[in-house]
Amino acid sequence: MTAFVVRRVLGLVFTVWVVYTATFFLMYSVPGGPFSGERQLDPEIEANLKRAYNLDLPVYQQYFIQLNRALRGDLGPSYRLADFTVTEVLAQGLPISASLGILALAFAILLGMSAGIVSAVYRGSVADVLLMSAATLGIALPSFVIASLAILLFVFLIPLFPAAGWGTVRQLILPAVCLGTLYAAEIARITRTGMLDTFSQDYIRTARAKGLSEFVVVLRHALPGTLLPVVSFLGPATAGILTGSIVVEKIFAIPGLGWHFVQAALQRDFTLEMGLVLLYTMLLYTMNFLVDLSYALLDPRVELK
Amino acid sequence: MVVRFWILALMLAGGLGAVGWAVRGARLPPADFTFFNESEIKSVDPALINGEPEGRIARALFEGLTRPRADNMLAEPGVAERWEISADGRMYTFHIRANARWSNGDPLDAHDFLYSIRRLLDPTTGAEYAYQAWYIVNARRYTHGAGGIAPGDPIEVELHAPVGTPDTVRGEILLGTLLRIEGENNGDDLSSRDRVFVVEVAGHERRFQAAERDDRLPEGIERCRQVLLDFREVGIRAIDDRTLEIRLENPTPYFLELLSFYPFSPVHRGCLERYGKRDWKKPENIVSNGAFRLHERRIRDRIRLVRSDTYWDRENVRLAVVDALSIEDRNTGVNLFLTDKCDWMTQTPPSVVRVLLAQRPPRNDINPALQLTTYFYLLNTTRPPLNDVRIRRALSMALDRDEITRVATAAGERPAFSLVPPGLPGYNQQPCLPRNPNEARRLLADAGYPGGVGCPKLELHYNTDQVHQSIAELARKQWQRELGITVTLRNEEWASAQQTQQQMTYMISRRSWIGDYLDPNTFLDLYLSGGQNNLTGFTSAEYDRLLADAAREPDKEKRLRMLEQAERILMDEMPIIPIYFYVSRNLVKPHVRGWYNTLQDNHQLRAIWIDRTVDPNDPRPNEFMGRKP
Repeated sequence: MTAFVVRRVLGLVFTVWVVYTATFFLMYSVPGGPFSGERQLDPEIEANLKRAYNLDLPVYQQYFIQLNRALRGDLGPSYRLADFTVTEVLAQGLPISASLGILALAFAILLGMSAGIVSAVYRGSVADVLLMSAATLGIALPSFVIASLAILLFVFLIPLFPAAGWGTVRQLILPAVCLGTLYAAEIARITRTGMLDTFSQDYIRTARAKGLSEFVVVLRHALPGTLLPVVSFLGPATAGILTGSIVVEKIFAIPGLGWHFVQAALQRDFTLEMGLVLLYTMLLYTMNFLVDLSYALLDPRVELK
Repeated sequence: MVVRFWILALMLAGGLGAVGWAVRGARLPPADFTFFNESEIKSVDPALINGEPEGRIARALFEGLTRPRADNMLAEPGVAERWEISADGRMYTFHIRANARWSNGDPLDAHDFLYSIRRLLDPTTGAEYAYQAWYIVNARRYTHGAGGIAPGDPIEVELHAPVGTPDTVRGEILLGTLLRIEGENNGDDLSSRDRVFVVEVAGHERRFQAAERDDRLPEGIERCRQVLLDFREVGIRAIDDRTLEIRLENPTPYFLELLSFYPFSPVHRGCLERYGKRDWKKPENIVSNGAFRLHERRIRDRIRLVRSDTYWDRENVRLAVVDALSIEDRNTGVNLFLTDKCDWMTQTPPSVVRVLLAQRPPRNDINPALQLTTYFYLLNTTRPPLNDVRIRRALSMALDRDEITRVATAAGERPAFSLVPPGLPGYNQQPCLPRNPNEARRLLADAGYPGGVGCPKLELHYNTDQVHQSIAELARKQWQRELGITVTLRNEEWASAQQTQQQMTYMISRRSWIGDYLDPNTFLDLYLSGGQNNLTGFTSAEYDRLLADAAREPDKEKRLRMLEQAERILMDEMPIIPIYFYVSRNLVKPHVRGWYNTLQDNHQLRAIWIDRTVDPNDPRPNEFMGRKP
């Protein structure tokens, strides 16, 4: 167990470094810089600006300067949001993206698992076909279509929810549902497959042979085994959902991190982009780590090596 | 099982707690007036910005010597209550109001303007709009730092400030005379850093080099932060606390309007020097002098402004709380406007404008107005076949601008046949030749490509955008149909497209220009030979001479005639093909008053008020509907 944790932590450090380095050199190889604008800068001013941000140095020197600062926990100022440091931007956006993500995930797990269990138990029935068709649709429809439909329906036709914004629970419901739909659909399919798989296991037959009620067989005995594939899907999904959805945050004007990913890259906000990539990598890695740990918790047969 | 239960319960509680924590305090009391301010702004520092979203905030927070009138953008007294202009039009004397105050209660005086304009010009400030102040005597030389001085000039040497002082504090300033520069720059004019400046300071000869604190320097050379012209040589002077004198290089008829532009806003020295260049702008630190104060900033959500209680004209400011929404998606903005969460929607998507304009009965919240902005194609005059003026004219004459504005833009944009938009008083636009496909074919044949045969393939380049793409596709179709030439399209995202234009690695490229001030010069000086925004390789000694003469000409009528001659040359030589003039795309609720259509699409928050007695279903238009485009 200890060896497992140590190995994973070392792996984290190495992974973050590789991702950081690759991103850094990719970003700096793209044409244009944070100060390119429609109006050309006076050469003297441009030189001073570049010097202030070390952009006049060779790329490898900039890399070491930034890496050194990042190691000390200083992500630097954002180039394009000049009134804030990268840390401030992340600190404002992450809680918002994360709470939207948690709501979306709760919705997705609740809906997805219920649908999956019902489908598996009543395999081949009308309910199964309907639920799985809905799940396929949910996976196939891009979130901007779902969001646009939801706005049309619940903002303009039946004015139940505000069109956009952040600050009240009512403003959170539509984006959380739109964000959660895709995940709910995935979870429903995984749950159904896993459940059917478990049903054919010997221990389920034993449980049934003992004369347990179908309810207890499904929820008490079959469900924990089914959770494994769901949990391994949830790990990376949580990392993605916590750092924000680009499309849903944009359409509903949620001030989370999602849209920063796009804007920082387009505006060549090198420092902010690096900060986001670092955060995302660490979250993703941590979530995968937690998934591995939870395997052991859910299934006594799994041993951490 | 028990352990699992507790883990689940903990996760659930943690999750809900996190949501509750994130939502807490997120709810703000509603604002009196909410507007869509496009993207998150770069900064609120008036010297460091150049975009319109930033400008809307800066104009609310700060005010210069003059301020724009709300209805037509002409200059009216701002912090200066009156001024005198000398007979030759080059000397302005401003008298500052006795009741001008900063938001912390400090009196605002002439020295604040001196400090702020020096800061704007200082090359280490990095002000993109520093050039707006170059009308002032020697201001350009000051901004050019070491590049703006020659032996014999009075100069100032700025030493490094002691370690630990905020980055806004200047180091010690040594005044002296530049004797000579050693190690002239070796072709790379960006690096003034390897030169040694020999300066006479208080009777002693000293040698300085601009270097960072930790750079190594040879023996006998002192390090300094920068060497630049003595600021006393720049034509701006505080005669006393309430009198500021500005001397200009040339009579500049639009100088008063220019002074109302946000780069000329005063900033509070004490605030800057205490908090440093990033933190002085935090809502809890900032000291400003405009009609509003910065109350709160939420990144990519909103900027909240509240009415200032120290602004000299506070009696006439009627909005107490204003929200500027920083929302990326314009369709979201439209949704908020339509559900009454937003009173003024800027930059409405063209597809929405088209739908709203077609509604019957006509809506009472939309009224596109002509803008001081031109959409045009750059032609790379250094690359064959576009180095041939006949080809350039043929391309322009083969274009059907009516079809473009009818099909691709459709908010009432006007086809453009000149670079300078209409609406500038006293100026006659100089049109290029009108659409004439037959003549265009003849010109092409003259140039050696009858029927387009043998003409090299042309590439039309634009930055990725739905509207630019539709226009490019129409232009390609029209050129191929009328001239028989082959045109390919290439799009790049914005920053890469800028670089392509600046390096002139394009053949035809899309560009637009927004007038900075109400004068044709803001468009015409783009095409000076070697100008930084020329980007076409166009050079004309005659054109340069006309613009230089016009700048020196004190007679306003004569000056405009010279500018017309210059545009005539431009429209004959055609380094650019004008396509259309923009119209504004604002949606304004009927209960909004004091909001006017202006040529530059600038609107003064201080003049806006809300008339709640207006019935939203009243078909009578609000004020801004009064002036038709």
